[in-house]
Amino acid sequence: MKPLSQQNLYEVLDVPFDASQAVIAEAVERAMALYAPGSLATYTLMDPEEERLLAKMLEEARSTLLDPTARARYDERITGPEQPGSQVPSPPAPAMDAVIRAAWPELPPVIPALQPASDEEWEEEPVEGQPAVEAEAAPAPQAPQPAARVEEAPETPPAAAPPTASPRPAPILLEKVVEAPASQQAAPPTPSAPAAPPEPAAPPPAQAEAELVPEDAVWSGAVLRRIREARGMSLQQVSERTKVTRHHVENVEADRFDQLPATVYLRGILLSLARELRLDGQKVARSYLERVASAHPGGPAQRPR
Amino acid sequence: MADVPILKLVRTPPVPARRAVGAARGVPAAPPARTRRVISIGGGKGGIGKSLISANLGIELARRGKRVVLVDADLGGANLHTTLGVEVPRRTLSDFVERKVSRIEDVVTPTGIANLGLVSGALDHLDAANPRYAQKMRLLRHIQQIDADFAILDLGAGTGTNVLDFFLVSDHGVLVLVPEPTAVENAYRFVKAAFWRRMRNVAQVFGYEPLLRSVMDGANFRSPVELVETVSRKNPEAGANLARQLAVFRPRLVVNQARTAQDADIGRAVVAAWRKYFGLEMDYLGFIQYDDEMWRTLRARRPFLLERPDVPAAKAFATVVDGLLAIDIAARAGAPK
Repeated sequence: MKPLSQQNLYEVLDVPFDASQAVIAEAVERAMALYAPGSLATYTLMDPEEERLLAKMLEEARSTLLDPTARARYDERITGPEQPGSQVPSPPAPAMDAVIRAAWPELPPVIPALQPASDEEWEEEPVEGQPAVEAEAAPAPQAPQPAARVEEAPETPPAAAPPTASPRPAPILLEKVVEAPASQQAAPPTPSAPAAPPEPAAPPPAQAEAELVPEDAVWSGAVLRRIREARGMSLQQVSERTKVTRHHVENVEADRFDQLPATVYLRGILLSLARELRLDGQKVARSYLERVASAHPGGPAQRPR
Repeated sequence: MADVPILKLVRTPPVPARRAVGAARGVPAAPPARTRRVISIGGGKGGIGKSLISANLGIELARRGKRVVLVDADLGGANLHTTLGVEVPRRTLSDFVERKVSRIEDVVTPTGIANLGLVSGALDHLDAANPRYAQKMRLLRHIQQIDADFAILDLGAGTGTNVLDFFLVSDHGVLVLVPEPTAVENAYRFVKAAFWRRMRNVAQVFGYEPLLRSVMDGANFRSPVELVETVSRKNPEAGANLARQLAVFRPRLVVNQARTAQDADIGRAVVAAWRKYFGLEMDYLGFIQYDDEMWRTLRARRPFLLERPDVPAAKAFATVVDGLLAIDIAARAGAPK
């Protein structure tokens, strides 16, 4: 699937590259009827701009593909050996196609049946080897879109996020200045309280603590415990402040995966714990859940306790 | 983790591994994949025959020996009982929502048709149209586990979050379309709204919100294709996963009140246009002819399919049901992979 502007005439008509004249003629006919201006099937689906583009492409398809000489020329143009500028250059398109092709065809034709999980919940299947999304997103400053935001603090070394640029103190792990301030304000209201952005908490923790935190962050229970202790909080205090039962906190810190609740709950717990410890909740949750998932390929404990 | 129960996530790890782990731990092996299916009938616009289609699909399935429960999920505008010729039931969904009864099975009213039960919408309680979030989640959970082969949800009009969540939780989200510009417009609005809601839910579960926000900031995406493409450029893995999760959003289309041959074709055209411009798939289940008999039997408050099984429109319901069952069979065949 590509945006219309990047489709070639065969793709516009939904016919194979080697389709016969007759097939193409029929496809043109069909498409003209289907996508004619004012057609019911496309009403409000396309905007007028797209409608005009499509009409133009269909006209071009008719005049080009139904004329053998013109078609041969066109074919050469779109398949010919490296003719720069012949076709709209679209570097991202092949990548996208590969992604889609990798993702789409393996799907069962319909929605898979829900597994009867636990009585209370359906759980999320942690995706193994899930890449650190934000870490990957971080090098994006070269990309055109976020560029505008980067200029707020272009040269700033990650560790010392300037309090001036940011409406809230940067959590110690938020090394991407790019994302922190702007995205926070742009956040649409979501119904999920636990996933809500961290509240403006105490001032940034002392530099010394940074060494407690592994840079590339494998968030094991032990690391979480060390950080909690470094913050001078007892299990009881954390439990009270996060409203997470104390034995859950203990089990998280001890990596007792088989005693942890279902993934959806666990994620919520990790997010609140991380918030309380002023860590990047998303990273902590992802890293921890990955470890849970790799310890139990079939997913974490079935029953929430 | 608010919206999680209504998510249908694509499971990436192989299923056998999970069974093996369960057996090794001495946990009883997971029961065979749930056979009960939830079908919801939506379409955005009012007056396009959602209730009549729900009722008659239910009758058709029940006639084939399936155990069916019709659920009037048009909270605040419930009238499904009327299409079946049933008196206003004494027990309604509001009894369940207010926890006067613990199981949804306790509010099922017999319809006088074998194998077909009715859960009437909340009729008496004025505030029932706007259940609290927790109430809605409980309702969704119980509907998914209802003791029947099929639960058919008759949704209300509009694109409110309640309607969308019922639609998204279903195994078959059926989109009803009448070949009129107003209905087409609302149908597209409805599926788009449902789609973006699913997108948001997926993002929430996988922690893609910051990524999506950074991508969507400033850019206006008309189609998921564009969005997934942009995400992939930043993070190929997230893009692939997103594409996978979103591709399961696959409404089933039914064209109602078809009057001409072109009307019958409109379903195929909508599927093609949806694929081309929105980049997603729909399954076209067929069309139901416009028939005054439908209106006449409704006026008489008699179930259409029982009164006039002979007319073409009645036979069309059989085609639609065939289509749904075929999709289920295909899904089961594809599931072990």
